[in-house]
Amino acid sequence: MSNGLTLGLFLTIVRPEEKAILAAAERRGVPVVRFDDREVTFGLERPDGLPSVLLNRSVSHTRSVYAGRCFEHYGVPTVNAPDVLELAGDKVRTSLRLQERGVPTPRTVVALSAEAARKAIDSIGYPAVLKPAIGSWGRLLAKVDTAEDAEQILEHKEALASPIHSVFYVQEYVEKPGRDLRAFVVGEEVVAAMFRRSESWRTNSARGAVAEAAPLTPELRETSLRAADAVGGGVLAVDLMEGKGGLVVHEVNPTPEFKALQGTTDVDVAERIVDYALRQGRR
Amino acid sequence: MTECPECAASVDGGEKIVGEIFPCPDCGTELEVLKTAPFAVEPAPREAEDWGE
Repeated sequence: MSNGLTLGLFLTIVRPEEKAILAAAERRGVPVVRFDDREVTFGLERPDGLPSVLLNRSVSHTRSVYAGRCFEHYGVPTVNAPDVLELAGDKVRTSLRLQERGVPTPRTVVALSAEAARKAIDSIGYPAVLKPAIGSWGRLLAKVDTAEDAEQILEHKEALASPIHSVFYVQEYVEKPGRDLRAFVVGEEVVAAMFRRSESWRTNSARGAVAEAAPLTPELRETSLRAADAVGGGVLAVDLMEGKGGLVVHEVNPTPEFKALQGTTDVDVAERIVDYALRQGRR
Repeated sequence: MTECPECAASVDGGEKIVGEIFPCPDCGTELEVLKTAPFAVEPAPREAEDWGE
């Protein structure tokens, strides 16, 4: 039952995840107020008709952060909180925070010009991985096997106009057994985890990796919860790799997809998300 | 039922909801549901640089 609560859903498009969230809210008898991130406007005064809590599911990092700030200004609790979206949506800030909190993460060097990036890649050693600071789905990731690769990739990056491409996030390439791990954290709990298997070094589900259930080992549970807590907690997908010295966290996703994960678990992920959001609305 | 704006194939609304993204069964173009009654679609928004999880 809704107990008078309403759930706001801020979104760009309705993917299977948002459809599952809408269905879960309906099963709970919770009215949903939808906000399309291409249409909504925000004044400085608190408007009428706001929901008890907002689930921020925009696929745009920029829109999700600004909308989160506006809803926060209106006093609406948001899942995830804008601080979490800002931090976890930025790989540089995430790496800094993970290291500060002692969460194992791959060796990383940040450079702010292509020239400095050459040095950063050399210091990491080959192969290295070059990632954009913002954005995901495995887009614009590059595995740098040789100094020649580095030259070509950096030349391409320099040609891109957006200033965000002059932030170079260089990470060690972690040899992994043809798979990585994703743990889905909701509040204080890891609700499910999956392996993502791929022939490619990129194991994103958006790139066709095959998902299968992963056991929730104590190490996986503890590392994932520590990573989620490090970025501020909420609904988060923690991506990990099985390194030689144990698990390392390479990403914490603050607007996570779960279609692939849902296919590997009996836990209703959307219901867990909705229930968690409603608990934030009751505070 | 409506037409795909790219290839004019017939596209069925079925159980789809407003905002849902689905591929045209003929040409594969990603379409977004604008309305359900009457059923109307347009090409889905293009992925932007800051899109992701």
